[in-house]
Amino acid sequence: MLGLKTGLTRRTLVAMSAAGLLTAALPVQASDDIVIGGSIPLTGVFAFAGVGIEAGIQDYLKILNEAGGIDGRKVRLEFEDTGYKVDASVAAFNKITSQHDVHLYYGDSTGFAKTINPELNRMGTILMAGASFATELNNPDAFPNQFMAGPDYSEMIAILLEYIAQEKPGAKIVLVNSDTEFGRDPIPATREKAKALGLEIVEEIITPPTAVDVSTEVLKLRRARPDYTIFHGYILAPLPEFMTQAKQLGLETKFMGTFWSMDSSIWAQVGEAADGFMGVMPYRYYYDDAADAPMLAKIREMRPEYQPTPYIQGFLTAMLFTEAAKRTLEAGKELNGPNLKAALNSIENFDTGGIIGTPISIPGNSIPVGRIYRYDATAKQMVPASDWINLKE
Amino acid sequence: MQIATAKRSYRADEALLTTRPQRVWMGILAATLVAAPFFLDNYWLYLACFVAINVASATGLNILTGYTGLVSLGQAAFMAVGAYTVAILEIRLGTPFLLNLVAAGAVTALVGIVVGLPSLRVKGLYLAIATIGASFILHFIFVNWTQMTNGNSGLSLPPASFMGTPLTSYFQLYWVFVPITALMVLGAANLFRTRVGRAFIAIRDRDISAEVLGISLLHYKLTSFAVSSFYAGVAGGMWAYFFRVVTPESFPFIYSIFFLAAIIVGGMGTILGGILGAVFMTMVPELLRFVVDWLAPVIPNAATLLSPVRTIVFGALIIGFLLFEPKGLAEIVHRIRRFFHLWPFRK
Repeated sequence: MLGLKTGLTRRTLVAMSAAGLLTAALPVQASDDIVIGGSIPLTGVFAFAGVGIEAGIQDYLKILNEAGGIDGRKVRLEFEDTGYKVDASVAAFNKITSQHDVHLYYGDSTGFAKTINPELNRMGTILMAGASFATELNNPDAFPNQFMAGPDYSEMIAILLEYIAQEKPGAKIVLVNSDTEFGRDPIPATREKAKALGLEIVEEIITPPTAVDVSTEVLKLRRARPDYTIFHGYILAPLPEFMTQAKQLGLETKFMGTFWSMDSSIWAQVGEAADGFMGVMPYRYYYDDAADAPMLAKIREMRPEYQPTPYIQGFLTAMLFTEAAKRTLEAGKELNGPNLKAALNSIENFDTGGIIGTPISIPGNSIPVGRIYRYDATAKQMVPASDWINLKE
Repeated sequence: MQIATAKRSYRADEALLTTRPQRVWMGILAATLVAAPFFLDNYWLYLACFVAINVASATGLNILTGYTGLVSLGQAAFMAVGAYTVAILEIRLGTPFLLNLVAAGAVTALVGIVVGLPSLRVKGLYLAIATIGASFILHFIFVNWTQMTNGNSGLSLPPASFMGTPLTSYFQLYWVFVPITALMVLGAANLFRTRVGRAFIAIRDRDISAEVLGISLLHYKLTSFAVSSFYAGVAGGMWAYFFRVVTPESFPFIYSIFFLAAIIVGGMGTILGGILGAVFMTMVPELLRFVVDWLAPVIPNAATLLSPVRTIVFGALIIGFLLFEPKGLAEIVHRIRRFFHLWPFRK
């Protein structure tokens, strides 16, 4: 039956969708805003961090823009979800940089940072930081347009070892690392640093990243009888299992971790077994009410509920991005990768508003500063166990 | 209504393009592929290159699973073999990139033959598990053969170069990847006009009958594994030149699932299915980004709120296609073609 139809037909809908897609694909009109691009994992295994990072960046930009932005220019974040997959991160990078005039970029992983590095160097217009603290990235020659808002993984362990060397000279240490690039990252540097500090690594344990049964590894701990056990390359699992079994065996070892294992909210779910877990943290925690931390007071004012460590990391990264942009513009220079990096490297004895409890300098690609915290299961908080340790001092 | 399509020779009957509209559309496609890079920005060029890589790999898996009936969940691991081969050759020997890609295919084909050996005894899910086992073994080798693979840190390789010009932009890589993929797809289409391809199909349809007919299962199953792995190896090699960093984590197991899903969604046992499936699986998550963009003015913080929804919608689309068109996207295309062939006599 042939006949004319009125209204929306399937064909019209398809045509409209195609037209809409094409329209959306067109580059957005440039404005005077300074744009921070972001490949941020809002889904996938790293989503817990991505959501916090995005909120942290947005909150700092809100504070900055309310205070007049940079030289009267607003700063905004243009981001896409990556699912923590390198190909999606690169796609997001290309989409955002095709649509906007981007000079600052937040990346979500070591894989992405390494993959996009040749393109960053080729473009020469962008300064990048991100969620990766990989030792490999802490090399200004190989990664001239990148930096990290904290110590690299080797420096994190070095901070832990400095603390151990002061607390218990000649201590015996066991390293437990996940069998991933992330997990194995600091092992060679850790061996060297331990040797230099007169500490003894008595065992190195590598586990699958998703290890569930760790009884065999715990027996190795019992044989080694270490004073300290340092985990790296995990978020939470299998750390609680290790700690529970070790306590059942009556081991005295103190358990330690690095940045991604140090959020207090993940340990709050573990309960009593988490008590006494220690680790290195480059930033103060959300609930730290130190007098010299006005920025944290401001964060608490903006967000009354607890904000995790990735939030703080995103917040500080945005602060450093915009500080670099501010200094570049103040010097009358163009916003591009080398100028922004030079401006970042000019940061000396910089006050982060208490996010980091000591003035910072960024001569290279990292901020080798951190502090040891210990988890208090009763208070459900990380409490400082040391003063700020700066590896450059 | 399509008329005058009677064939007068076997050659005409076996031709790849049998009708004028087919030839016209293929010409339009070729012209579009040639013109596209001059109109696309970096983002779309990136996606075009990535689609080309995925089409090559999905076509390879379709030869093995769709045409020969041998289920494999090792495609990502095979791609990794190709990627590592290219990276090692590029870093250590600096041989021409086309030679490296062929070598990647050849090395992966050899690995594929070894991995394919269990297929002589097991089929279906059992074979799928065997290929998963092979993936784990290959992953172990990538992590632990540090002299060659640099362990967990992986290898960063220089760009491919042509006549001394490094191919660093997506525009340049497009002119490498798309022709290679087109050749590979054409090769696959032609394969099934030969004795070998027909043997694969016979094995898929009834392997015992095929053996009774004189088709050597040992020979043809391993050949299918070799051809499929060759495709995966070349795709992996292109992947290495595309991303220029190869680590053991570059090709996770989920990537094998991705390719299996691609050929199921696209249409198993059809060349068009491999292409459409790879395009669908690569492009739909990206196109859904624009839906989020449209909703951004309406919904505050749309990107954060809707990103999980994007994943759900993508999954739902896959399920939807499987429910409403079990034969895949290729069947939808065939139905559209049939409609025009018969128009106006059938709607």
